Amino acid sequence: MKRIEVKLSLSVVAPLLDLMKASSDVLEAQIAAPLTLDDIDADFRDEWKAELLQGQQEELRALMGLFNSDFFINGVVAFDEDNAETIVRACSALRLRLRRHDLAALEDEQLESGGIELEELPEPLQKPYMCYVFLGTIQELIIQHLDTAILGGKSDDQADDADGDDLGDEGDEDDDN
Amino acid sequence: MPFALSTPTMRAAEPRLAGTRPLVAPSEVEQTGTALAPQGPWRVVVLNDPVNTMSYVVLVFRKVFGFSEPLARKHMLEVHEQGRSVVWSGLREQAELYAFALQQWHLTAILESDEAH
Repeated sequence: MKRIEVKLSLSVVAPLLDLMKASSDVLEAQIAAPLTLDDIDADFRDEWKAELLQGQQEELRALMGLFNSDFFINGVVAFDEDNAETIVRACSALRLRLRRHDLAALEDEQLESGGIELEELPEPLQKPYMCYVFLGTIQELIIQHLDTAILGGKSDDQADDADGDDLGDEGDEDDDN
Repeated sequence: MPFALSTPTMRAAEPRLAGTRPLVAPSEVEQTGTALAPQGPWRVVVLNDPVNTMSYVVLVFRKVFGFSEPLARKHMLEVHEQGRSVVWSGLREQAELYAFALQQWHLTAILESDEAH
């Protein structure tokens, strides 16, 4: 089974988890992606929304479950064929929530360019933006290494069976000691 | 910057509508061979958003519609550059299934009647 283990910097990621959890809690009750269901039968609409919400809840619980007690011991999270799809979706949901709620002051073009300097952001935006980028980076890693798993073998990507990636400061394996 | 990976995103657009409940999982529909009708009365349109990355959108198109990577990338670029892309057209019920699947991936999709164009 293809699997990637990512060593995270606890000192960087741990402070983000409260915001991720708070955003995740909000998304227990609302769909992350904007949804307008004007022209369909009300029963179908309700069923649709309920199913979307249930799926989203499961995704977010899987994502937050990565940051368990083991994570706080070794700083490692693992992605494999079983959780890759779920986690990339959860990251998308959280990023949508962060963008709409916590980063609403930023222009689309700013976010899209990726050229935002963290230190230049107002302090209240810094943690949400860190969170937003962190989740996007997790997505990119999974897509880069596990797209075959998500696509059910349709990809030409021949990722190694076990790759290691460091997601802390460039070159820093772990700076929480 | 602790996370230096660049994550280019799609751009914003307002959603309008979706469809109705999924009767069959889209992946199952795809396998029946009924999903690729070239023309039909309803279009599934994916709208731009400022959050989901280009690679993510390509992945979703490949996963949901079974597109090849070049085709998925073509549609992704349409969304990115034109704000929208018609990714499928056919019967309403099937279109609803695809719209639902796209919503599951947190993309913004609407249905449009071909007759309106």
